[in-house]
Amino acid sequence: MKMNQLKSISMSMIKIVLVILFFSIINTSGFSQQNLFPVTLTDDSGADVTLNEAPERIISAAPSNTEIIFALGLEDKLVGKSEFCNFPEETKNIESIGKMSPLNLEKIVSLDPDLILSYGGFQLKDIPRLRELGFKVLVVQSESLQEMIQGMQLIATACGVPQKGSDLISRLQERINHITSNIKKLSHEKQPNVFVGSNFDTIYSPGAGTLFHELITLAGGQNIVGHLQGWAKINPELVAQKEPDIIIIPSGIMNPEEISKIKQDIITHPGWSHVPAIKHNRIYAVNEDLFYRAGPRLVDGLELLYEIFTGKK
Amino acid sequence: MKYLPEKNNKNLYGYPNWRYKAFFVLIFGFLSILIVGFIGLNFGTISIQPEKILSIFWHHETDNSLGLIIWELRIPRLIMAMLTGMTLAGVGGAFQGILRNPLADPYILGVSAGAALGACTGIALQYTTGLYLMNFLPVFALVGSFVSILMVYLLSRKKSHLPMTDLLLAGVAVNFFFSALITLLLAVSNREIHSMIFWLMGDLSNANWQKISLVTLPVFMGSFLLIFSSLELNAMALGEEEALHLGIQTEKLRLKIFLIGSIMIAVVVSFTGLIGFVGLVIPHIARLLVGPDHRIMLPVSALIGAAFLIICDTIARTILAPTEIPIGAITAIIGAPLFIHLLKRRNDNNEY
Repeated sequence: MKMNQLKSISMSMIKIVLVILFFSIINTSGFSQQNLFPVTLTDDSGADVTLNEAPERIISAAPSNTEIIFALGLEDKLVGKSEFCNFPEETKNIESIGKMSPLNLEKIVSLDPDLILSYGGFQLKDIPRLRELGFKVLVVQSESLQEMIQGMQLIATACGVPQKGSDLISRLQERINHITSNIKKLSHEKQPNVFVGSNFDTIYSPGAGTLFHELITLAGGQNIVGHLQGWAKINPELVAQKEPDIIIIPSGIMNPEEISKIKQDIITHPGWSHVPAIKHNRIYAVNEDLFYRAGPRLVDGLELLYEIFTGKK
Repeated sequence: MKYLPEKNNKNLYGYPNWRYKAFFVLIFGFLSILIVGFIGLNFGTISIQPEKILSIFWHHETDNSLGLIIWELRIPRLIMAMLTGMTLAGVGGAFQGILRNPLADPYILGVSAGAALGACTGIALQYTTGLYLMNFLPVFALVGSFVSILMVYLLSRKKSHLPMTDLLLAGVAVNFFFSALITLLLAVSNREIHSMIFWLMGDLSNANWQKISLVTLPVFMGSFLLIFSSLELNAMALGEEEALHLGIQTEKLRLKIFLIGSIMIAVVVSFTGLIGFVGLVIPHIARLLVGPDHRIMLPVSALIGAAFLIICDTIARTILAPTEIPIGAITAIIGAPLFIHLLKRRNDNNEY
């Protein structure tokens, strides 16, 4: 036991030292304030984007990127956001460019941005057109926690604040390490079986390769659909067979009435009465944004899951 | 067309003054497209003063954001809407002629389903292989539609003939088959489903000058070829046998119109996705306005189609701005009630 503890502490110490070392190398090797620009970055779509000066008018076309911009303290430069960017509260003062897809090119052009942050995906089809019109588009598409952290550094560098980026990252990394080192102390048998059900008419559950799955694993849970790829349509029989200890309901609007109704649906779901999560009433509704958006709040989501799994919530 | 001496067949065709009629109708049509186009230019997410638009237009300003909006976004979109509307309505009219079926539309012979399957395959490949294929979607769609055209042709051909019922049935069968494959593709896809659905509903937002330059030539050449077949289509309207007696080679005519029309549709649809109802409803409206003479009806149908699609696109761009609605939804919402109204009116008057 003691050995284990010592080992994990030393491991996390090493990790922290490595992170600090890594970023100090970055800081000393050419990121001094004078020669930050011009900078050429390779974005997540594989395109090289050259920025000649720090962007002053940024459009963020996805909630994840908007949250990163706010976390970096660059909100003053944000001139446009997607309709879905609703966090933090201050986003409501920023002009909306409409839905995330298809992008409203006219609105974007009229805002005259010098950097557009896209999340790739459905927006990929509009990006060639934007680049053709002479706009700088940076695709930040993260499908894991680590990629999100890289994306954060990419955005920070593109915006001329690499130092702020690495500070933010080391703070987040510390919180992640805190949890992962605690998890290592748990024995494998103690890891709860977790089931995430998005909707209880047709059940979609996040399998391997999703952010949700990664966070469940990091927080010390066993995802019962971890053997499936991506968001998978689940047969209710699978839940009955896997007997999850904990059921998580990702919920958009946190309306207590609606949540209690969903919970009731789960409890009375035919064939599920023997499931431990239902027997012990361990059904939790969580804010889905903490798990879907590849932004800094993923770490909040991780901490929330950790609390749920360890019974602190 | 010496086998159709116009003057001697006045009674048969009954349109002695068609030249005057055509002249006035076409002038009127062009003017209304210009007017509708200019009105469309004035609407958008961003409101721009009409005087400002005129000055941007006059001086060809492209160095500021308003100039970019007008010259690179709104005008290409308008022109693309115009070309698409023209093609769909014109080909729809011609197909209704050769199939002698008021319910025929440009998609009935399978082109659209082929194009859609091609495009959806491209989108699915993009996500599964990670290759960047978005720019090549028109190629996928074009290949898909040519495959479906070929299939319909081979399925319906009997020796050198192309019987009407077989053509129609082959088209419908290919349509169903390809639609089933699309449904299958949609069922197994995750993230790409949104892109696919948007493609299936039609989207003009990515129109640019390059696409227009690729579409223009086939569309205009095809349109002229269709209009030059007007007299034969008129004869066909009398009935298959009557047309044969007049010396029209109906099988050849059908093959010709089928190929020209399908290729035109394939080219347009590859760039815009599936925009429904225009090709079904507009020819009927044209027929109500100027009568069934294809020499007038086809160009008028094309012109109304162009104007209609410009209006629909303007609505799609502005009604929920800054969010854009797929244009296919607008054409269907306006088109469906209009079509029902026309059908009802036809039943009430008991004439067609």
